[in-house]
Amino acid sequence: MKDIADQEVIDLEDMDIEAFNEFAAEQGWSDGMPLYVPTESKVAKFVETVRGDNRPYPPVPPRQVIPTIQALAANAVMAGCKPEYFPVVTTALRGVLDPDYNLHGTLATTHSCAPMVMVSGPIRHEIGINCGSNCFGQGWQANATIGRALGLMLLNVAGAKPGEMDRSTQGNPAKYTFCFGENEEENPWTPYHVQRGFAPTDSVVTVMSGEGPHNLNDHGSTTGSGLLTTFAGGMSNPGANTVYGKGPMFVIIGPEHAATLKRDGFTIDTIREELWKRSRVHLSRISPENLDTYATTGHKPDGDWLSIGRSPEDIHITVAGGPGKHSAFIPSFGGTTVASVRIAR
Amino acid sequence: MRIYNPSFGLSATSKEKIELKPVNWKTDAIALVSNSKPNARELLWGIRDKLSAHRQVENIKFLAKNSASQPAPKELLQDIAQNYRAALLALGD
Repeated sequence: MKDIADQEVIDLEDMDIEAFNEFAAEQGWSDGMPLYVPTESKVAKFVETVRGDNRPYPPVPPRQVIPTIQALAANAVMAGCKPEYFPVVTTALRGVLDPDYNLHGTLATTHSCAPMVMVSGPIRHEIGINCGSNCFGQGWQANATIGRALGLMLLNVAGAKPGEMDRSTQGNPAKYTFCFGENEEENPWTPYHVQRGFAPTDSVVTVMSGEGPHNLNDHGSTTGSGLLTTFAGGMSNPGANTVYGKGPMFVIIGPEHAATLKRDGFTIDTIREELWKRSRVHLSRISPENLDTYATTGHKPDGDWLSIGRSPEDIHITVAGGPGKHSAFIPSFGGTTVASVRIAR
Repeated sequence: MRIYNPSFGLSATSKEKIELKPVNWKTDAIALVSNSKPNARELLWGIRDKLSAHRQVENIKFLAKNSASQPAPKELLQDIAQNYRAALLALGD
């Protein structure tokens, strides 16, 4: 008889949900929260939703196995997804499989990074992804379970078991789930996926291996320039990977801050340029030991400053959230890319 | 009940085993490969110093990835495969 690990379909005696969760935990399939049972009938409903996407999946690192669509669907079922969320989850998986995303490095690192999933386009409203108030938080099944499903795939298919292949020193609550929608309706500039060359009518999933959102609170500034001073101060972090690892980052601007910046004539490009200039880290804030290490590994300062990315283009800008004077900064792992993939439908 | 296995996948690697030739640790060329994290270089130089008590070390060379967070470039892997009989990896952290 084959080991359970080698069986695509597993025959189990009938059991209740508690017993199934104990069984799943024994197999190492659990993220610690309760799981739904991936029965054949439930998995079949999910598989039906991705019939428009027949491209094969490459081997998934670090484990280097080629997943079946049923195995992927089983993870989405266990996460509590509805079948109509599944194309978003599989598209997110395709994003993290972009070679430049560096899935192996982002899963095996001691850094706390988690896969950030941002959804753009019409599918946000079709399946109920929260783009407004509390968009990074709880309360919305799509946000909660799409991010969780991707995390379960990375655990079970990629093999990123905490403390074994996933070597994160402290982890990050975003590893449970980190999915939100762009607030395109209150974005006074161009929606993010259109900035990336997609059509406004496309539904697109963007992934980045990021830390959790860092809040950028500014209730006092009444000008766009004032807001950017606050944003840049929050981004200027000598403890971020991007100080020496260099790589992308997101600034997710709240709608009220976005309106102020737009009123004062700022564009996506000028915001990037200003943040790039103002968020540099002065060498006096870097320890001598770190400066020595950066020098020997090729991370040279520019005069008395270290930039937090390679160029202004490393700063990705969009709008999400609801009323209030808050925005968010999401730094990345560093050695990664932002991957945007259109949902095939 | 019948469930789908969420960890099931098809192996992407060949079942064929590569025959490794034995390494002569007294004379063969050895690559000391750092992942470019702090202390990896120091650890590898320490190993080289220790080995110097037992063998010649002129053909023990220090190599490094150009980024701690990125995979080793193909050129580096080819260099190691072509010019060394063994590689010692230091994962400094």
